[in-house]
Amino acid sequence: MPTLTYLQAISSALRDELRADDRVVLMGEDIGTFGGAFKVTDGFIDEFGPDRVMDTPLAESGIIGTAVGAAVVGMRPVCEMQFSDFISCGFDQLVNVAGKMHYRQGLAVPITVRLPSGGGFSGGPFHSQNPEAWFMHSPGIKVVAPSTAEDAKGLLHAAIRDPNPVCYMEHKHLYRRVKGEVPSGVFETPFTARVAQAGSDLVVIAYGAMVHTALEAVSDGLDGASVEVLDLRSLVPLDEEAILDSVERCSKVVIIDEANSTCAAGAQVAALIAEKGFESLDGPVVRVATPDVPIPFSPPLEAAVLPGVDRVREACRELLAY
Amino acid sequence: MSSSPTDTLVDVTMPQMGVSVAEGTVVAWRVESGDRIEAEATICEISTDKIDTEVPSPASGVVTEILVPIGETVDVGTVMARIAPAGVVVPAAAPPSSLDGETVGQTRTETPSPKNGHRRYSPVVQRIAAEHNIDLSQVPGTGRGGRVRKQDVLAFVDTDEPPLHIESPYRPDPVPAVAPAVAPAVGGGELSRMRRQIGEHMKRSLETAATCTTWIEVDMSRVEAARARLGVTGLAFVARASIDAIREYPAINAWLEGDRYTQHPDVNLGIAVSLGDDGLIVPVIPRAQELSVEGIAARVRDIARRARSRQLTPDDVQGGTFTITNPGQYGSIMATPIINQPQVAILDSEAVIKRPVVITDADGNDSIAIRPIMILGLSWDHRALDGALAAQFLAAVKRNLEAVS
Repeated sequence: MPTLTYLQAISSALRDELRADDRVVLMGEDIGTFGGAFKVTDGFIDEFGPDRVMDTPLAESGIIGTAVGAAVVGMRPVCEMQFSDFISCGFDQLVNVAGKMHYRQGLAVPITVRLPSGGGFSGGPFHSQNPEAWFMHSPGIKVVAPSTAEDAKGLLHAAIRDPNPVCYMEHKHLYRRVKGEVPSGVFETPFTARVAQAGSDLVVIAYGAMVHTALEAVSDGLDGASVEVLDLRSLVPLDEEAILDSVERCSKVVIIDEANSTCAAGAQVAALIAEKGFESLDGPVVRVATPDVPIPFSPPLEAAVLPGVDRVREACRELLAY
Repeated sequence: MSSSPTDTLVDVTMPQMGVSVAEGTVVAWRVESGDRIEAEATICEISTDKIDTEVPSPASGVVTEILVPIGETVDVGTVMARIAPAGVVVPAAAPPSSLDGETVGQTRTETPSPKNGHRRYSPVVQRIAAEHNIDLSQVPGTGRGGRVRKQDVLAFVDTDEPPLHIESPYRPDPVPAVAPAVAPAVGGGELSRMRRQIGEHMKRSLETAATCTTWIEVDMSRVEAARARLGVTGLAFVARASIDAIREYPAINAWLEGDRYTQHPDVNLGIAVSLGDDGLIVPVIPRAQELSVEGIAARVRDIARRARSRQLTPDDVQGGTFTITNPGQYGSIMATPIINQPQVAILDSEAVIKRPVVITDADGNDSIAIRPIMILGLSWDHRALDGALAAQFLAAVKRNLEAVS
């Protein structure tokens, strides 16, 4: 198996899908000639041409609206938001048109919207957000968030082949930091959670970049405790069975969100555990999340608001001692 | 303060540890005169004949005087120390502060032992307790503020007896290590009080009794089946079978004190309970002949739990007339147990192991079958009885176990 970065795995999935299926087209700002802001589609225009790798105007609403129309007539468009923050400009097309099409008219909208998200690189308030919870709150849209190179490829294949609109949250901080062996060719990773590290005393639930924060936080063993790390991978659908299974075995839960705390994905997980995992709990459900403030430019301030290894480790220690 | 300070001091007295106990010995003080102590925190440790226990402070305040030194034995009710509750001015005798009117010496707080009904339990702890029928007030808590955590209640469940039946105990011999030069000691020190007492009792028994041991093999097929059905341990069946055998051979259920031999109408059944590294204790189930197999099993569970959580009273370990020891849970197949004086016999119940045995059918034809076999050993005092009686008694136990339905 070749070793790919997270970013190369995304490129690989897009290339494989373009080669395998004529209905797949890419749309986005500067994805063609320039190869994308992060070079995910570098060289694609040479192989697949400008009709399938389309440079669009700076208009997210237009990108998504066009994609919805193309999908309704049988295409499988993949839209790139240059930064996930910019999705707010395309919000209405995604939430009200794409998400409700099936319910109103019985039509499938098999579009994938790639959302380069997350902070940690002094990108400031417009280039560092984690807007996944907005779409969790909107019926008709699936949301996935890989943390490894293998899942980056497998989840993107599954997203493109899914008959529903899928928001694919790709974490910018992981693009070149995360590497791993990735199977060649097309494979679909199911929209389920993955036990990243097995344990029995406490489970840390995370997704995206926070999976790596969690793994690092518990890597020193936490005084001999057996800590599990559950990588959600998919936020809609949420893998309730895997979450409740971890809670049943571990009885203590720390949930990490890089997103702002209120109504984040982790809040939904906490609510699920309170409702369906109550009898397994041996302590309060603990959340570690970014406070409800925009992400600051200043590196020390940004480091202070994002959930870091020390905060997660301290939360685990506190809960283990409870 | 208008009243005399001594009117308001709280006495710490030697507690009544059981109806038959009249005195106790102070083993250790946890405080010194002048220390602050919280109500319910341990103020001292005491020892009676067989039980060591901790005495909780009756009040929060400052210890004004300690009246009974370590090692001294006093009657129940004797005042061992006095405590000035908060707000009471302590007489000048109290060291060590030289500040006028200042009463507080060094502060020594311990996590108070939580009282029943005042503890809150997490959902998972309550669920596990309900599933295993555990009284949570008996479970020591290791969480914050003495909270009972999931691992605490699970550890408490684990102290339950392991099943009597085990798989083959055979393990390959370890590779012999090259004999090392004497390595530096990794542990040791003075024997604990309990170890010394066990040693004394065992040594005295061997010096007193003419100890012989007789063994018999028992086919446990029926017990194994019934055990699974009733959800009780094999030990309970062995106990019931022994009690029935005692009915036939009551001479086994007796005391021999010097030349005085006393046969007892009731079977007060002692069950040896291992306390791990700390030692061993033999709590007694009084009038065990009145209990069914299930009843015996419940009582065994109860006393084992209380023994391991140090909740036994002296009355729980007195008056035994016959004892069963059950080390077979670890896979051992034979032992020569030492009689619990002044009793005249002790039954040793060992591991149940599947063995090929010769079975004779109704027509007299022999065949080889796989049966769960246990070796029962009886150590008996040759001063009180003879080998024939021991063998007959064992045969009766065997017959009863093989007839379980």
